[in-house]
Amino acid sequence: MIPSASEPHPRPPEPIVLRMFGIRKAFPGVVALDGVDLEVRAGEVHVLLGENGAGKSTLMKVLSGAHAMDAGRIELAGSEVAISGPRHARDLGIGIIYQELALVPDLSAAENVFLGREPRRGPGLVDRGAMVAASRRILQTLGASFDPGLPVRVLSIAQRQLVEVARALSLEARILVMDEPTSALTERETGALFATIRRLTSQGVAVIYISHRLDEIFEIGDRVTVLRDGRRVATREVDGADRRELVRLMADREIDERVPRPAARRGDELLRVEGLGRHGVLHDVSFRVHAGEIVGFAGLLGSGRTEVARAIFGIDPHDAGRVFMRGRPARISSPRDAIRAGIGLLTEDRKRQGLVLELSIRENIVLPVLGSMSRFGIVSRRMERERASKHAAGLRIKTPSLEQVVLNLSGGNQQKVVLAKWLACEVDVLILDEPTRGIDVGSKQEVYQLIHRLASEGVGIVLISSELPEIVGLADRILVMRAGRVVAELSGDEASQESVLAHAVGA
Amino acid sequence: MTLRRRPVRIAAVLVGACLGIAACNRGDGGAPTVALVLKTLNNPFFVEMEQGAREAADSLGIELVVQAPEREIDVEKQMQIVENLLQRRVDALLITPSGSREIVPAVVKANEAAIPVVVVDTRVDAPALEEAGARISSFIGSDNVDGGRMAGRFVAERLGGQGRVAVLEGIPGHETGDSRLTGFREVLAEHPGLEIVSSQTANWERDQAFNVTQNVLQSHPDLDAIFAANDVMALGAVEAVAAAGRTGEIVIVGFDAQDDARIAIREERMDATIAQNPREMGRLAVISADRLLRGETVPAEQPVRIELVTGQQTGAVEAPAREE
Amino acid sequence: MALPRTKLLHGREVGTLAGLLALCAALWVATPHFATVSNLVNVVEQSAIIGIVAVGMTFVILTGGIDLSVGSIVALSGVALGTAHEAGLPIAAAAAVGLTVGLACGLGNGALITLGRLPPFIATLGMMSVARGIALMLSDGRPISGYPASFRALATGHVLGIPFPVILMLAIYAVAHFLLTRTLLGRYTYAIGGNEEASALSGINVRAYKAAAYAIAGLLSAVTSMLLVARLNSAQPIAGIMYELDAIAAVVIGGTSLLGGSGTVIGTLIGALIMGVLRNGLNLLGVSSYLQQVAIGSVIIVAVLVDMMLRRRARRAAE
Ligand SMILES: Nc1ncnc2c1ncn2[C@@H]1O[C@H](COP(=O)(O)OP(=O)(O)OP(=O)(O)O)[C@@H](O)[C@H]1O
Ligand SMILES: [Mg+2]
Repeated sequence: MIPSASEPHPRPPEPIVLRMFGIRKAFPGVVALDGVDLEVRAGEVHVLLGENGAGKSTLMKVLSGAHAMDAGRIELAGSEVAISGPRHARDLGIGIIYQELALVPDLSAAENVFLGREPRRGPGLVDRGAMVAASRRILQTLGASFDPGLPVRVLSIAQRQLVEVARALSLEARILVMDEPTSALTERETGALFATIRRLTSQGVAVIYISHRLDEIFEIGDRVTVLRDGRRVATREVDGADRRELVRLMADREIDERVPRPAARRGDELLRVEGLGRHGVLHDVSFRVHAGEIVGFAGLLGSGRTEVARAIFGIDPHDAGRVFMRGRPARISSPRDAIRAGIGLLTEDRKRQGLVLELSIRENIVLPVLGSMSRFGIVSRRMERERASKHAAGLRIKTPSLEQVVLNLSGGNQQKVVLAKWLACEVDVLILDEPTRGIDVGSKQEVYQLIHRLASEGVGIVLISSELPEIVGLADRILVMRAGRVVAELSGDEASQESVLAHAVGA
Repeated sequence: MTLRRRPVRIAAVLVGACLGIAACNRGDGGAPTVALVLKTLNNPFFVEMEQGAREAADSLGIELVVQAPEREIDVEKQMQIVENLLQRRVDALLITPSGSREIVPAVVKANEAAIPVVVVDTRVDAPALEEAGARISSFIGSDNVDGGRMAGRFVAERLGGQGRVAVLEGIPGHETGDSRLTGFREVLAEHPGLEIVSSQTANWERDQAFNVTQNVLQSHPDLDAIFAANDVMALGAVEAVAAAGRTGEIVIVGFDAQDDARIAIREERMDATIAQNPREMGRLAVISADRLLRGETVPAEQPVRIELVTGQQTGAVEAPAREE
Repeated sequence: MALPRTKLLHGREVGTLAGLLALCAALWVATPHFATVSNLVNVVEQSAIIGIVAVGMTFVILTGGIDLSVGSIVALSGVALGTAHEAGLPIAAAAAVGLTVGLACGLGNGALITLGRLPPFIATLGMMSVARGIALMLSDGRPISGYPASFRALATGHVLGIPFPVILMLAIYAVAHFLLTRTLLGRYTYAIGGNEEASALSGINVRAYKAAAYAIAGLLSAVTSMLLVARLNSAQPIAGIMYELDAIAAVVIGGTSLLGGSGTVIGTLIGALIMGVLRNGLNLLGVSSYLQQVAIGSVIIVAVLVDMMLRRRARRAAE
């Protein structure tokens, strides 16, 4: 069933710049990598594909010196190297964008791009001007227009992802690893990133690319290596590879990738937002969400979708407009008020806003509902375990046990924990901001099923997503935002990716 | 992963450290062990006391253990040290109490362990002692009230019975400091022309004395004299007065006759100090312990001579003048 | 890697416990006076003072904060008790006054930090000075002595041969352990320390639970002051100086992260005992007090260094 890796090459092969042999890495209770081989050529985009927890990030961390491998061998341009740490890897010409963003929040974007390699002007003096100018140049090639002097703390997660990309580009590496660089980006930034990648590969840079968005793989990839459960199951040329076969190789089962949409059952009005505004950010945003309805929010990066969610949930103050729950005005000035009113928000930034990394999966899942599982302040462990396992079960979180600390999970599995947490919260209206960020193809289908089930149980869902197929496929109604305003409302049946995009860019 | 090695490593470090320290402290034969618990070892007064005690211990063949809390005011830590030494079954306990009343429970514990207690330098509060039913074998110390009077008479004489005086107090509630101030104030009260314009604590410390003096000089530029309840504070005052460019204009009197103070007096930056004799106290304390252990009795009160040190007779100072 | 905290002892504490046992073993070899029943009881009794303060400090540090005012609160609550007693209140009422004052100081810290949005370091630094100053003012700088034997039994009493302070300390640790592992308060304390933003977004009343940690620290400082007054038969306005540092040391040696979010009171207990045993051992060995300071400081540094190193490695591996 596992095909051989040697297949005919249509063009003369470029020299091999990286070879990894028999890489093994185990964590307590988990063998993350079990003898993985990988071969990367100069100038190619080599895609790594695999389900959540398959070992993709771990393999790349071994390459970048963040993990020491238990066994195996690495060759760069034909000679064996022993990578001693992240610095050493960088000196060897290996650049990496980590899946979990690793920026210093209080430094500016430019300072982050050049952290540790600041351009100098005399001894000990940083050339700020040069730094900002260089960062701006790189960011512009990526289609980003924000000011590189801004502290990273105030940037959206997509903007931060671009800073990470810029940082990796500024390294001028010969081998560039990108671990889910587009998980928070919209089509536009993704397009700019791909143009940059093509420019780099034409200069002979090898790019190792990880993504759960299969469309991207066909667009940018040259070859693809599929990992499953810490083993390599195949390496293929992307040209001529069959999408369904790749998915089957990954998941070891058939998966129907179509997003199914059951007939909408629209119940009573749950959430009504009237004229929501925040100076300079949001203008006159109004909409309703009914029981059983999935309302999609589409738009480009910075169009204000996340800001709407934050304002409703009481994170940011708003200076105009009103929010009603079940027809009654809801006074929401903090997330606590919002949850009490029956609103939940799954935030886009799981690491910063979604999870307490040191706590276990169980503890994270029940965090918002712990109060209801306690008597006289004493928590019932039994209820906790029941609730946590009930909601984790549908999501296939890859872990030895629910007592595992979230820190130790793979990115996609962490995302599933955040999802489980909000499912366990059992609110009336659930706002999902990029709910499938970093989740693999198979699990995405399960998440979609879950969203449907919630809707059919009468929950009102607000879905924010940068993946157009997801929005168009799932939502009963789609609101398109641009520059802080709702510029169009399309019904799910009439909407297409093209029409949504056209409204989003204002064409 | 690496976690499993941690206990081993910490254990190795700790064992190594302890054995090393133990190795340096081996070698007790049959000699009696006497513990001297000081208020602190950050003050030359107590360092001198320790030296006197060591000399006596060496000549008498006594093993002397000297311990002190890091901070002079730490009564609780001093109590712990006493408890620990009692565990070690020392044969006699010599102590300079950090608190006149707070030490009483420690004395009780020593009594219970039948270990004789000799109190040095600072008196234990007599009523508290009585109330607890505790006993001490002897008190060795100088008469601080008398020393305070000596300082007061010196100031009165130098100012011709007329002038403004500032006082630097020690930590409030200390018998030693309180007695010195009592004697000093007593004499000043006899001279209607002498006025105490400021009396503040500098907690026995040099840097605090410097600051307090600077502040007093701001509010009382016409100050004529400063009395500090110990030399450490007096020396802080000396620096502050020098910084104000007024050395020689203000009479500064300290207490304890430390070497640094003697030097300052010889260089005419300071005027007088009261010589206690900590070395003698230490010596007497160990001798008393020795006699108690032989079953002899010692007097309940053993006063140590006290004297005024001025520019005319600063006594023998080993260290050559080298400051500033 | 971090393991779930549900078991009484997990990896980190086992390490610290091994350190404590090794220290004891070394002292046992080094001096015949160490491993006697009376000395061991004595060590635990002495550790009770810092041990109890350190419980409150653990709560605060778990939320990612710090409390520099505990030592001053010890002094102020003691003086409050003393003043009330001197003024003629029965000793039980006076003790209640002392405990209330400690709790109020803690709540004051909590309010400054949550409502006033001051960094904990600054708020408690201020409280440290204010409380000390009030203690000195109330007492005129003098110790307030003389308490009935019934009160002093708090420090001198025994139950089944075990000194009362030891029992009190163990009871406080048991309650704290229960609070941290089994209650909302505990879970939220860890959650806030681990990720304050995510906790707020999960609907936790972050302000209230943060303030609670400082209130607990204040209350336990007051409890400590009761023990101290009973032990010395005197309430001292200068008591508790630098207790904050000893307490922080015990907490950190016990494996609690200064960044918040992870650690246990069991670790803190072991940390407090390590400090107590070390001081006791150095006294027994007759080590000079200069060298003692070096030894204590070194142990703190080494213990935390090893711990941080492992933690960093685990963390880097996980990210
Ligand atoms: N520090 C760690 N401690 C314990 N287990 C770990 C650690 N890091 C990774 N793992 C485990 O190793 C396995 C592989 O994780 P990895 O992050 O490589 O997955 P991935 O393929 O990148 O998944 P995703 O698509 O979700 O990002 C997972 O089961 C994960 O739980
Ligand atoms: Mg990954």
